[in-house]
Amino acid sequence: MQRRSSPLAALERPFEGIPIDWGTIAPLRLRARAIAEGVYAGEHRSARKGAGVEFGGQRPYVPGDDLRFFDKRSLLRHGKLMIREFETETDRALWVLVDATKSMSFRGSGPGAKLAYAGLLAAALARVAVATGDPVGIAFVGGVGAKLVPARSGSEAFERAVWALSTLAAGGDFVGAEEGFERALGPIAERARRGSTIVFLSDLLDLPPGAARALAALATRGRAVVVGHVLDPDEETLPYEGHSRFRAFEGDVVVEADPADVRAGYLERLASLRATWVRDLAARGGGLVHATTSLPAADVVRALLAGFARRPG
Amino acid sequence: MSFLTFAALAVGLLAGLPVAAHLLRRRHAEERPFPPTSLLAASPPTARKRSRIEDRALLGVRALAVLALAVLGATPFVSCSHLSIERRAGASVALAIVVDDSQSMRAPVEGETTSRFDRAREAALDLVEGARAGDAIAVVLAGASPRVALAPTTDLAAAIDAVRKLTPTDRATDLDGSVQLARDLVARMPQPDRRVVLLSDLRDGKTDPPLEGDGDVTLWAPLQDLAGGATGDCAILGASRTATRAEVRVACARGDGDTSPSAGRSITIRAPGETAARATLPLPAVVEVAIYPLDLPPIGDDIVLLAEIGGDDLIDENDRATLAPAGGELAIGIVSDAAANRVETGGPPPIEQGYTALGLGATAKALPTTPDEDAELAPLGALIVDDPPGFTPEQRRALVAWVEKGGTLLVTLGPTSDAAPLGSGFAGLLPGIVRWGPSPSTGADPAKAVAFGATAQGLAEIAPRGRASLEPAAVEGAELLAAWQDGAPLLVRRRLGRGNVLALTLPFSTAQSDFALRPAFLALLDRVAELARAANGTARVEVGQAVALDGYAKVSAEYLPIEGGAPVPVALRGEGSSSRLEPDLAGRYRVRLDDTETIRVATLPAREIDLRTRAVATSASAGELGGEAPTIDASPWVALGLLALFAAETMLRALSSRRPEAGASTT
Repeated sequence: MQRRSSPLAALERPFEGIPIDWGTIAPLRLRARAIAEGVYAGEHRSARKGAGVEFGGQRPYVPGDDLRFFDKRSLLRHGKLMIREFETETDRALWVLVDATKSMSFRGSGPGAKLAYAGLLAAALARVAVATGDPVGIAFVGGVGAKLVPARSGSEAFERAVWALSTLAAGGDFVGAEEGFERALGPIAERARRGSTIVFLSDLLDLPPGAARALAALATRGRAVVVGHVLDPDEETLPYEGHSRFRAFEGDVVVEADPADVRAGYLERLASLRATWVRDLAARGGGLVHATTSLPAADVVRALLAGFARRPG
Repeated sequence: MSFLTFAALAVGLLAGLPVAAHLLRRRHAEERPFPPTSLLAASPPTARKRSRIEDRALLGVRALAVLALAVLGATPFVSCSHLSIERRAGASVALAIVVDDSQSMRAPVEGETTSRFDRAREAALDLVEGARAGDAIAVVLAGASPRVALAPTTDLAAAIDAVRKLTPTDRATDLDGSVQLARDLVARMPQPDRRVVLLSDLRDGKTDPPLEGDGDVTLWAPLQDLAGGATGDCAILGASRTATRAEVRVACARGDGDTSPSAGRSITIRAPGETAARATLPLPAVVEVAIYPLDLPPIGDDIVLLAEIGGDDLIDENDRATLAPAGGELAIGIVSDAAANRVETGGPPPIEQGYTALGLGATAKALPTTPDEDAELAPLGALIVDDPPGFTPEQRRALVAWVEKGGTLLVTLGPTSDAAPLGSGFAGLLPGIVRWGPSPSTGADPAKAVAFGATAQGLAEIAPRGRASLEPAAVEGAELLAAWQDGAPLLVRRRLGRGNVLALTLPFSTAQSDFALRPAFLALLDRVAELARAANGTARVEVGQAVALDGYAKVSAEYLPIEGGAPVPVALRGEGSSSRLEPDLAGRYRVRLDDTETIRVATLPAREIDLRTRAVATSASAGELGGEAPTIDASPWVALGLLALFAAETMLRALSSRRPEAGASTT
């Protein structure tokens, strides 16, 4: 059983990491395995079209297409220039980018801190990827004691991922730190090869304004980006009542408000934030999945897998 | 206040504690870590709005409760500013409150804007409200003539109501009469403690012996500070006019200061509502009582004019008066033997000198003989005939007709009256035969000489050489106003129609008695003038004098304000065909008598302008009679208030607890 620590006390120590409140999510390894086993591994199959052995359909010819796949029969029968496509079974790398900034240490009425939930999702995704033979890598935005886990295949990769996630502490303040955020994306931008899938698990809070576009920029060279929006149920609904002084985890923002008065506006701004991310991601073929910590982790993992399975080739 | 009082009141400082607690509570809104704080908008907090409504009310109630607790602790020691009486062993009290409603009470209290009358009325209210069950309250008004505003009663609510209805008047001050009247009211009350409380500025202009209690009835004058302050004042006693001439009677009372109240001031004649003067006359530097003539431009009789003294003085209300048509003076005819009434030191006969000294505004006209024609009698309001040898039939007929119309006849009976020639007599006026003979008494019985008031004492030894005697028929149905020591009538009053016939069984001649040398002589002359004014409805009367309006089926009167405005109805005294108008205010009164309408003018009494202060015996200001002592215990009321505050505090707390508590903590 993990002991809950006081976020307020932790916030008073800006240079120390905030231990993860695992709550009922621990132990990470066992729960990640259980979730992964409940997820159909086949969903992590390749959806990339191109040279391969299994016919994947036809599409109109565009100049520059490889003439080896020109469909002569279609030309003879219908008089149309068509190209034949084939699905390919490739070992696609999975990169999980975990937001470990201070705001992810928050735990409201959920089963554990947001960072703990994000860690569970990351471990479960790593387990699914390893089970299908794909390499998996873990990278972090912020965090104290965060260590990059290079993309590797095999069961050892899963153990490395679990270890990196278990020894993590929340930390770092990325409000306005646009360069810092881009620097955090750097390892993935450099290492993720064509066809890789990048999953960003974050609350999307207190990130620099250009974070969505910077992340969406990774969706090039055949890479896919899916965002798991990890929020605590309290952040989803703002259930509090009574006049309070609300204090952000990052950026030293303090607001005095009566939740009853500001609830509607808050939910509207939260939806607007999501819409911004959805719009920026959709422009690059990405998607956003709700990952509220009260949702069953298996469903969220399944939604994430489905999310990058639908990505365009 | 004692140390304990200060200590108890110091508890009130703890009222600051709820304030401090409230401020501390408000400053510590619950802090809540919340990552999406940047998505929250600061709101004008409902909680703080609620705190304005509920918490502040709670704060106020708690602070008040602490203060009330402090006051409750200090109450037995707190001095109360209410006037109250000191009871002897807690006994019930019969209290006759004499409230001075004379004109001098309109002056402001020194250093304040409140009038003396308002102060006196508040003091009377304090006394009545401080009375307990079993106490009897009577209220007497000291404006001349003294009146009973409330007969002795134990109904305290009625007493409070009566005191609240009191209003100041322009009457003169009669402290002796009012105190005596108040004393008579409570003298026979069953309460063991009987008192007269005199609430007056004591400015009756008399230098008589100090006012003091009498026997069982104690006199207390708690407001002697009202007599302080400026004393200089000028007033217009009366004003009359013809088409081109005005006469203004002015009286000034010199104050304690060096400046004369008339210095630098002038009389102005103007119409109500106008600012332009029709005539102006500067007043001399020193004025006592004088009549000042002013020439007027031709002005119609229908235009009402005002005489006004400019400038400020003690009482503003008496600085203006309405000009009455000339001829309204009370004319008193005097028929006396100049030889018999000769004054050794020279000058007119004693009767004329008496009226001049009294300053009643009456004109004494010496007549050679008793008039026997109606036209001669008509201008007269009163006629004094000294020791006449009877009246001829013509004179009797004219006199009877004149008296029945409202004339007042004073006839003194002496040796000449006993020697009436054949055919002369007093038939029709005084039944029977008048005889003169030696007097078995040396003087009058003061107890039966009520008509002479305080001056009756001087009639006990007038050493008459003889006296007239009346037949029983003359006394039958008449009012005995004074009697000799053996009970024989000295002064009788007979009503005849609307007028009066007064018969004095002693002539004015000093050769027959000392009567004309006694103060009672002036009292009799004053009485005659008063009866004349009251009986025949003379156009001009003094404030407070009753005007008889007898013999009319329908009578009403209304006061016409000096500066114009709606007439104010005046309640008449008496019932049926016997009504009396007793004006309280100086000015014009419109009187409707059946189908006719006349104007009566009430003028200020000159003696009210004499602002000398009457002394009061030391015993009447003794502290053991009462004062602003802590006799009113407010602690029950404070305790009740405290209970109410606690109830309100409980209710507010219950309301506050219904508010939903703040959201769950994340820690």
